[in-house]
Amino acid sequence: MIVCVAVVGHQNNPLYIQSFTDADDALKLHHIVHCSLDVIEERVNNPKKSGTTLNEAFLGLLYPTVNYKVYGYLTNTKVKFILVTTDLDVRDTDVRSFFRKFHAAYVDAVSNPFHVPGKKITSRTFAQTVSNIVGSYGLN
Amino acid sequence: MVEPVNSSLGKMLLEEISPVVMVLCTPLVEDTFLRNGLSFVETLKPFCNFSNIDVPVRTSSDQLYRLKKFTLRLFYASDIKQPNVEVAKQRLERVITQAGEKDFQDLKSDPPQITDILSNPESEIAPSWFRYYNKELIRTLSFSDHEAFDHPVACLLVVSSKDEEPIKKFVDLFNSNRLPTDGTMDPNILKHYLLVHDNQDATTERTSKVLSEMRSQFGNNECNLLCTNSSKEGNVEHQANPWASFKSSVSADKLGCALTGDDIVEIKDLMQEFASRHIIPYMEQKVRELNQQISATRKGLKNQFKNFLWRKGKDDNPDATKGSMYTYSSTESQIRILGDYAFMLHDYELALSSYRLIYTDYNIDKAWKHYAGVQEMRGLAYFISDQPKKDSECMENAFSTYMKLGKSGFQNATRCGLWWAEMLKARDQHKEAASVYFRICGEEPLHAAVMLEQASYCFMLTKPAMLHKYGFHLVLSGDHYKNCNQVNHAIRTYKSAISVYKSTTWSHIKDHLYFHIGQWYAIVGMHDVAVRNMLKVLDCGYQSKATQEIFLRDFFDIVKKTGMKHEVVGLQLPILNMSSLQVIYEDHRTYASQASALVEESIWQSLEDDIIPSLNSGKSNWLELQSKLLPKKYKESNVCVAGESVKLDLEFRNPLLISTSITSVSLICELTANSDDLKLVDNEPSGSSLSPEISTEHNQVTTSGFSSFTLSEVDFTLGGGEKKLVRLTVTPSEEGILKIVGVRWELSGSIVGVHYFQSVSVKAKTARGRRKNKLTPTDALKFLVIKSLPRLEGSIDHLPEKLYAGDLRYLVLELRNKSESPTKNLKMKISHPRFVSPGNHEEELTTEFPDCLKKGDEHNIVQRESNRTSSVFAFPKDVSLQGDRSLRWPLWLRAAIPGTISLYFTIYYEMENVSSMKYRTLRMHYNLQVLPSLQTSFKVTPSPSRLQEFLVRMDIVNRAKSDCFQIHQLSTVGCRWGISLLQPVDTILPSKFLLAGQALSCFFMIKDCRKSGTEDEETTSLPPSQTDVKLYTQDDDEKLFDIVSSPLASFHESERSCQGPSVQVSPNTVDFILISRLAKSSSPSAVPDLPKILSHHSCHNSIRSSSPISWSLDGPQTIHHDFSTSLCEIKLKMVIRNTSDGISSVTINTNDFLPDAAATTSSSGNQSGWRYVPTITEEMKLTSDVMGSRLGKPPSSMESSPPFIWSGLSSTKIQIQPLSTTEIPLQISVFSPGIYDLSSYELNWELSEHESATSSGTCQGYPYYLTVLQSE
Repeated sequence: MIVCVAVVGHQNNPLYIQSFTDADDALKLHHIVHCSLDVIEERVNNPKKSGTTLNEAFLGLLYPTVNYKVYGYLTNTKVKFILVTTDLDVRDTDVRSFFRKFHAAYVDAVSNPFHVPGKKITSRTFAQTVSNIVGSYGLN
Repeated sequence: MVEPVNSSLGKMLLEEISPVVMVLCTPLVEDTFLRNGLSFVETLKPFCNFSNIDVPVRTSSDQLYRLKKFTLRLFYASDIKQPNVEVAKQRLERVITQAGEKDFQDLKSDPPQITDILSNPESEIAPSWFRYYNKELIRTLSFSDHEAFDHPVACLLVVSSKDEEPIKKFVDLFNSNRLPTDGTMDPNILKHYLLVHDNQDATTERTSKVLSEMRSQFGNNECNLLCTNSSKEGNVEHQANPWASFKSSVSADKLGCALTGDDIVEIKDLMQEFASRHIIPYMEQKVRELNQQISATRKGLKNQFKNFLWRKGKDDNPDATKGSMYTYSSTESQIRILGDYAFMLHDYELALSSYRLIYTDYNIDKAWKHYAGVQEMRGLAYFISDQPKKDSECMENAFSTYMKLGKSGFQNATRCGLWWAEMLKARDQHKEAASVYFRICGEEPLHAAVMLEQASYCFMLTKPAMLHKYGFHLVLSGDHYKNCNQVNHAIRTYKSAISVYKSTTWSHIKDHLYFHIGQWYAIVGMHDVAVRNMLKVLDCGYQSKATQEIFLRDFFDIVKKTGMKHEVVGLQLPILNMSSLQVIYEDHRTYASQASALVEESIWQSLEDDIIPSLNSGKSNWLELQSKLLPKKYKESNVCVAGESVKLDLEFRNPLLISTSITSVSLICELTANSDDLKLVDNEPSGSSLSPEISTEHNQVTTSGFSSFTLSEVDFTLGGGEKKLVRLTVTPSEEGILKIVGVRWELSGSIVGVHYFQSVSVKAKTARGRRKNKLTPTDALKFLVIKSLPRLEGSIDHLPEKLYAGDLRYLVLELRNKSESPTKNLKMKISHPRFVSPGNHEEELTTEFPDCLKKGDEHNIVQRESNRTSSVFAFPKDVSLQGDRSLRWPLWLRAAIPGTISLYFTIYYEMENVSSMKYRTLRMHYNLQVLPSLQTSFKVTPSPSRLQEFLVRMDIVNRAKSDCFQIHQLSTVGCRWGISLLQPVDTILPSKFLLAGQALSCFFMIKDCRKSGTEDEETTSLPPSQTDVKLYTQDDDEKLFDIVSSPLASFHESERSCQGPSVQVSPNTVDFILISRLAKSSSPSAVPDLPKILSHHSCHNSIRSSSPISWSLDGPQTIHHDFSTSLCEIKLKMVIRNTSDGISSVTINTNDFLPDAAATTSSSGNQSGWRYVPTITEEMKLTSDVMGSRLGKPPSSMESSPPFIWSGLSSTKIQIQPLSTTEIPLQISVFSPGIYDLSSYELNWELSEHESATSSGTCQGYPYYLTVLQSE
């Protein structure tokens, strides 16, 4: 199941972090998301030389921890999307599809004329959309 | 990239994988060296590391190579065994604890900047005590059975010259201390005999004799003599003490105090000779022998084939030893010894080839520990040989094998991991090193803490630095340190982690860090630092409620332990909404209530324009001009008066979800004495303002020693997320410059929050609109305090909030001056003279209101000359207030029109003997709500038969929702008109009361009392009773009200000016005043304060007819009909009279639809404001006797269908001859009970005069109210 999704700005500032667990482990998930930024920067600085994935936004599995798998996604404006899941057998196609929907929801949220770029996303519609996306993918 | 031999791992291996020498000595030898505070082994240890031994070595090949660096390890025989697990653990813990105590003083420092950490040299990033910890950790695995490099190479037997029978001692030492292991170590090791001679005790002759005997017994080359303790005084101090690193508890100067420089040189020479002439040659010979032996049995294709068959046969042997799998004499052990000896002699190629021979055997035998050990040695050998990749592969292989062994292999895995991490770090592979540290964390929390911390420093050293993981692993390490009660280390690691997160917006993580490090600082007793860290989590509004409660409770516990109050500038609990800041103060403008201060300044200014003396007028002489001028400084700055408070409103908001109690909230102010400025004002010789040169020379000194102002303190509690507007005041008691600097408050009696206003833009409520320069932020909170002045307090007693239109009230204005300084020249201005009129006398009325207004009262004042020259009311000149004296002045209030009215009063007064401020104003503001009551309309028609008489029709509608009114009297204004009734009162008002919504029509006759023919003659005075008509029954013994006296006359003048533009009395108009009162039997009224009298004024009623026709609609006023049988048809008659000289053609048009209200309003000015009367529903049954009846519910309107229909002709046209009258029948049909207005018709007339052109016009129908009741 998906336990956490996050949006991190281009200065590594957190724009949106939401955990989907009943336990009080928001702090742990914050740390996991924060640590994944090192891996994202490493991937960005040392891209793979494959021609077909030259402009790929999906960064794949960042690193496995004991209980979680962390996936990353990088937009053209250097905004990072991070997904933390407890599923052991996750298909890349599912994660790519999730990130595409998540990206669309993010674009809708920041297109709000009252949204200040670089500030935290406080849109209730965005939160609801993200919950729906997570709910649909959590069933897999 | 460092050369492997010179890297930290290379140096570590040189020290740790080196020959072991077993030491056996007698107690007397130990006593000899204890005089220097050292044991025998400790005395020799600093001299066992040789940096330039330069010994030629030849091992497997005939080629020589020279050893330059070499190390020996000396151990007592009793220590050559596996260390106890608990002892090793305690030793490791002691290393950590001592390191923590050493860093204690650095804990108070602030977290370093992350850029400073990054710019540090690599060697300074990790703490230096890690090396000692890692060494101790590695040494917990010393003397393992399966590793030969820890097996003793030689034995050093030491006997003192004072021992009895020394030769026998030598033999006994070795026999009683055999090797501790069971057959895995070589028993035939090299032996060396040392005779120790103490120069302070023994004699030289005995020593020489013993040495000779030793050499004859054990061999000449195997014996040596060591003379020691040559210093007789025993107080030698060595400049570079070689034993300084051994013991910290004893003073370092005492170590080696009995040894001279020559003694030290002798020890050094002894050890060097021992290593170069005995140890190295012995190992060299051993290596050659083993190599030759193994080459004969294991190398070559033929031997490998035989070994394969032979080893297979070995597995079938049922007589295998149950003990150790490999004894010293086994082939595998011999090969391992060969490899380790070659490694220690730095022949890494021979070592690698030896290890390669046996690791396959160990793998086949499933001897995993032996197998992993060989792989580990291969990795290290590859590393020192500078062969990348192979070394890591071997280490990985060894590590995995150790881990598969479970708990028994974990210690070996840890050592392997430590060496592996050092190997990776030497090759700048820091990220891989970090993962190795992570893998050897294990379950021991203190061990894990040290490993995690080393991993974090690896992340710091990557290129580029992985700061996020660096911070995260420091947090993990700190948590583990705390769990082991190593609080100093926990603080140190968390402080470094804070450097990473401090400048980011990862608030959840930061709160966790600051909260815990604050707790830990409190544990070690640094409460002030604890408070400083805890403050950073106070505004954690986004955390859960439970987390906020924990944060706040722990925070206040820590604060209380400090035993002092902590002042925090910029504390965000609660949050101050600076945009809500409002300042309310009084200078020459004072306010009677809070509502008065909230009124827009422009309203007051427009009201006070003609009451305040103008600075540009009255230039009679320069002395008067001087007294009116205020200094320029006063105009530009805010002015307040000593003794009067300045009020500041500010909104506080609780960012937390839990309730917070905030106490002692007050302002922070500064009062500066400004005596020079005041002196200049007093002594100003001319009217000019201060020059800039003089202004800049003001000497401002802060008043000290006593409090020059008084501050208010407020306590309140804010619920979760609650906002509260708080009023704070400061009352200056001295003159000077007052600045409001900020706000302070207290939390839990121990935290003082402070907020300064320096960069806040304040909306000053009473700033003057005429000021051109915009206020700077600091100027808005800066006040010039002037000397104490009298301040009038004003109030109006019993001013009602709700009134009926026409309500007349008697009020009292009370003014009070508590100051001893007198006031003079009191004036008053009222915003609505139509509503409020001041009385004329200060004294109380001798008769109670409203009887004082009735005729016959001798105290009534007749105002025949009531014209006012201006709207400013001036109090009598002799009125002066001082010393808490009060002035009570009567006011008359009449609610003129319905609606919500704001009344503004301004009292102007001047001070005597005061130069700083000549006058002040007192501002009072009240709100009135006026409800509609009786609405009157008058129609005057000239009488056709009598030229001096006119017919008056008065229509009254009760517009109130629930109250009943009683009509009292109708009067004409002036002496010209006499009025009389056409009908008795009982006929007009059978019920004596006008119910809510009821309408009434009355008819009167007025008579012009002027002499006919000439208007210049004087009007004869009429008896007073002829201008008034009593509208109540004769039974009531009440007097008529005198409309000529004040205040009715005054209010009538106001109404005349409001209802029409006429200034002079027009000969063609007449004014009426209707007086009514509230029926006493009504149910609870809509107005809480019951009115006593209501006056309704109708002005400028024209007596000239505007049309050539006049008419009246005749019919019943009230009828009864049984609607259950049939609808009601009512016959009416219209009488029309042509009052002109020509023939009039009249058309009557009746309308069944409701007339448009706008059209009705615009058609006739006299009927302005008339509305359609709502009908009475069927449920409401009215009887003839309405005395005491109560209305169950208000009447409702039936707007969906017309209430009645004109059932006769819809249009009738007639011709009327001059000065003649005609009658026209009309008829309506009514469907339900109710009150109907039969005015929905119009008359179109056309006049044809013989000599002039034709004129025409349209007349709207008169109101004619018909009441239809259900008959029973």
